[in-house]
Order: sequence, then structure tokens, then C-alpha cells
Amino acid sequence: MILIMKYVNSFCHLQKLFFFNYIRFMNRLLLFLCLLIGHTAVSQSVSITITHEVNHQPMRTNKAYYTAQGDTFTITKFKYYLSNFSFTSESGENIKLPPEYFLVSDDSAASKTISLTGLPLGRYKAVSFMIGVDSIMNCTGAQSGALDPIYGMFWTWNSGYIMAKLEGTSPASHLPGHVLQFHIGGYRGAHQSQRMVQLQTSFVVSTGKTPVVHLVADAATWFNGSNPIRFSETAGFMAPGTIGDRIADNYSHMFSVKKK
Amino acid sequence: MNSKTTYVIMAFCLFLVGISLRGKGPGPGVTYVTLRLPDSLPKPVYDFSKNPLTKEGIALGRYLFYDPKLSRDSSVSCGFCHQQFAAFGHFDHALAHGVYGRMGIRSVPTLFNLIWQKDFMWDGAVNHLDIQPMSPIVAENEMDMPLNELLDRLKCNEKYQQLFKAAYGTEEVTSERMFKALAQFMATMISFDSRYDSVKRGEAGVAFTAEEAGGYKTFQQKCAGCHKEPFFTDFSARNNGLPYSPNMNDMGRMRITNNTGDYMKFKVPSLRNVMVSAPYMHDGRFFDIFQVFAMYDHGQEKGSTVDPLVRGMQLSAKEQRQLYMFLLTLTDKHFLKNPDFSEVMIAN
Repeated sequence: MILIMKYVNSFCHLQKLFFFNYIRFMNRLLLFLCLLIGHTAVSQSVSITITHEVNHQPMRTNKAYYTAQGDTFTITKFKYYLSNFSFTSESGENIKLPPEYFLVSDDSAASKTISLTGLPLGRYKAVSFMIGVDSIMNCTGAQSGALDPIYGMFWTWNSGYIMAKLEGTSPASHLPGHVLQFHIGGYRGAHQSQRMVQLQTSFVVSTGKTPVVHLVADAATWFNGSNPIRFSETAGFMAPGTIGDRIADNYSHMFSVKKK
Repeated sequence: MNSKTTYVIMAFCLFLVGISLRGKGPGPGVTYVTLRLPDSLPKPVYDFSKNPLTKEGIALGRYLFYDPKLSRDSSVSCGFCHQQFAAFGHFDHALAHGVYGRMGIRSVPTLFNLIWQKDFMWDGAVNHLDIQPMSPIVAENEMDMPLNELLDRLKCNEKYQQLFKAAYGTEEVTSERMFKALAQFMATMISFDSRYDSVKRGEAGVAFTAEEAGGYKTFQQKCAGCHKEPFFTDFSARNNGLPYSPNMNDMGRMRITNNTGDYMKFKVPSLRNVMVSAPYMHDGRFFDIFQVFAMYDHGQEKGSTVDPLVRGMQLSAKEQRQLYMFLLTLTDKHFLKNPDFSEVMIAN
């Protein structure tokens, strides 16, 4: 038997591919039929908008803010992944949407509206989601869309997504240029930075109407929570590790439902 | 149903097929390829269902592999450091070097049998074959090429427009397509055709000499715990007792895990093709295999993370000589000369 590598056509493989394409095709067809039949597919979507704030004030580039510890700081970059949305119906049933990944960035207005589809009609009382990218997608190889590494949210020196990134400046920072640079990541072992968020909010998914859930993300929570950060001690962190875990704990409280 | 309706539905179906094929996966008219692997091997770690091998995908990957345009000043390709005749290691270079004469801190790992490898680089920092090339491409001291700029460069290139279209059905250049094509080419680098393999398969007229057989016995007693057959590595990271070098200040896997238990742990390299892939160790400090034997015999550093399997290892002069003879049988000349992997001419 000669064991040098050879190329051969595999019929089995072809069949498998055709099967997958067939399934994909049927999905498209089904979606199309739903669109044709009525507004069912449209009404089953929910829209989530996100407003960025710092200490309850609108986030502005280069505006000065204060931490609870009294450090002045500005924000120049603020972006994070949201994924794995699920909703709790009024009867307490948990409806998990297929895993989808969204990169929210303060400099992109479009990224601050997230459209989710596939939610059954009915009344809902809570939404939950992950800040970050789940461990599976951290080790599944090359991705496109929001998970494309071109967005600078992927570590090459130690594979894994940067779950959330905040950069800026603070006079208290001892780093060159008094910069702040927090890249929070790590998906395995002792340092897992994915955080789940659950928020109570009631809304109705009905025919012909897309409900909108308005959320606020307050960046001050990164430094003010149960693990206060002093920029004189910690002005940057860009690896999986304890400080990253603590900041992730802090920012797991950054979301709230916008008061009307 | 009248014929007009049928026509509309059929046209729409074609449209849907077009949508479903767009972007992801191989394009229409590709030739699927299956690797022929020895039956005795375990199932590859690499998931081919997410990146089916095609003749066109492999061709694109090979072109990318040998294209210096992947580096900032168009001087360094993947194949620049990963040379086929050195089992895709870097002949005669202790440390990887890159654009503008910059130099890295580690030696160039060999490339073969990668589809069984669960992590990559000397410290296991990279967790998937698809994204492995991202590290050398963006690393300042290697190719120093930002991904966005690289994709723009490829998009504007006519040759790549053809190659991407052939492989994926459209000219669209994405990082996912680029990485998957590179992974396809690297996935085909399979090396299981050395003299050792012929002996193991019981091929007529092939047998170890007495010296080689003696070396194989020593190997099984003293090396096979980490350099496990048939891959000649168990794909783990271990501290083999190599002394820490203050010049390099490289503590191995500890950099990735922040765990002092990983001090000086590096991936166990395969011993296949070892005699053509000098220099040795993560920093290429040994140019001769006998220096490696000497390190195991009497040059180990003591430390709590040194692997129990190598502690106190002794290799007599005879064992070393026979090991050397055995390691020579691990050279796969068919792999080193396989025209499917050789350098391609980069047109423009």
C-alpha cells in the first residue's frame, strides 16, 4: 500500500454537501414562504437599542468623566460583543434564540441597534444575553461577520476573542501618554471573561409590531463596581487574568433598561 | 399550475440556491478532495465539514503560502521560513526572522500532520489551524501585515480574483476565506512515508539494521513517553529540562497561562523528519542532534516543572549512536520532495 497522499474524489463527501445545501435551501424557502404568507416572520422579531452612558451622562469622545475613586478619565474606544440572547416569557418559559454574535461599538450608530428574529408571539418579562463570545466560538477557527478578526477583537498571541475593549486617557495613568487600555478576554481555565446579563423588562411580541427594548450601557461601571479600579495602579490590562476577570465582574452590571 | 408560474418558481429556486451558496463554503464546480490517510491513524482533530477540501481551495492556499505579498514589504512569504526540504522548518536558522531584518525569539516549527494537532506554536497559544497563520502575518517581527491592509492588497490583485472565484464561487476576499484556504493547503501536508513506516507496515525487503533496531529500542524505552508513535509527539507541552536562557527570557507556556506550573513548558515537537529540520529546541540552540542527546544525558536544569519522564535520563555513547541511526529512518523523502507542496511562481 502506498501511503503518500493522494487526491481522490469522494462521492460520500459530495452527498453530504448536497444534503447540507439542501437543508440550507429549504430554510431559505421556508423563510420566503413565511414572508409571502403574511407579516408573521416580521412580527416575530424584537429590536434592542443600546445607549452608551458614563455616570448617567451620554458618552462623548474626549469628554472628562470621574470614577467613584475620583480619577478623571476620557474614553476614546468602547466596543464589546453581545451574544446568546434568550427571553423569558410571562409564564416563565425560557426561549433561547440561535447563537448570534453582535459587535457593538460606540463609534458605529448602526451597531447599537440589534435585531433578533425567531421569537414566538406572546408576552415577555425578561431578556438575557452574554457579554462576550462563548467558549465554543473561541475555538472554532476562522469566522466572518461580527467575529471576523479584522475588527481588532481577536488575540493572535493567545487565541481568543477580546470580549470587551475600553480605551481612553487618564492623568492618573502611568502608561506612556497617560493612556487607559483595557482589553478583556479569556475563555477557558481559571480566567473566563464571558458574563451573563439578565434584565427584567416586559414587552409583547404581536403580529405586525416589532417591540423595541431600550437598554443603557454605563461604562463607569467598569471601574466602580465591587472591584474598584484606581488608574494609578491599573491603567491597562490586555490578557486573560485576574484583573480582567474583576473588570468583567464590574461590567456585568453595566446594562440597565432605559427609563422612559 | 401554468407554465409561467412554474418558470417563476424555478427562477426563484435558482436565486435561492445562489443565496445559499454565496459567501460561505466552496463555489460551484469545485473538485472535492479527500486525503488518503493510513487506516491505523486516529480521526483528525481538524473538522473538515466546516472547511471541505477542494482542489481549488488547496491551490489558493498554496499560492498564498508562497506569496511574499502577505508581508508588509512583500519580502517574506510563509514558505520563506517554512521550507519544504527542511520539512517546512527553517534550514540553518535558530530563530525566525522577518521583514526589515527583524528577528523573533523562537525557532520555526516544522509543518506536517497538522490536522491532528489541537493547538499550535511552541507554547500552544493558537487553538485552531485556521487562525494559526494570523500570528505570523500580523506579528511585527515576522510579516508585520495588518489584516485589513492584506485583504485590500489581495482584493486588488487579478490573480487572487481568479483564485478566490475558483475556490469559492465569487471574487470576494474575506479573512475567513483566506485562512480556510491556507488551512486546506497545510492540511494536505501529510508525512507517513519514512523508512520507519515501511518497516512498520512490513513491506517486503525492508527491515531495520541492527543499529537502527537498537536505536528503536532505546527510543521506546527513553523517548516514546513524550514522542509518542505514530506521530512521534503526544501533542502536549512539557519541560524537557532544557536550561532557561537569560538572553531570551522565554518561559514557554507560562506566558499564556500565567501559571507557574507551566514554567519552561514547550510543545513536544514531532521527531518525524527530525534529521532534516535542525536546529533544535524552541530557540534553535542546538545545531547537532548529539547536542540534544547530551542535554538529556547530563545538561538538564533541575526544577519542579521538569517532566518526570526525562529526569535523570542517561544515554550511553552506544545508545546515542543507535538513536541517531534510528532517527534517520524517520525522514520521509517522499514528503520532502512531493511536487504538490513545492513553491509556486508568484506572478505579480
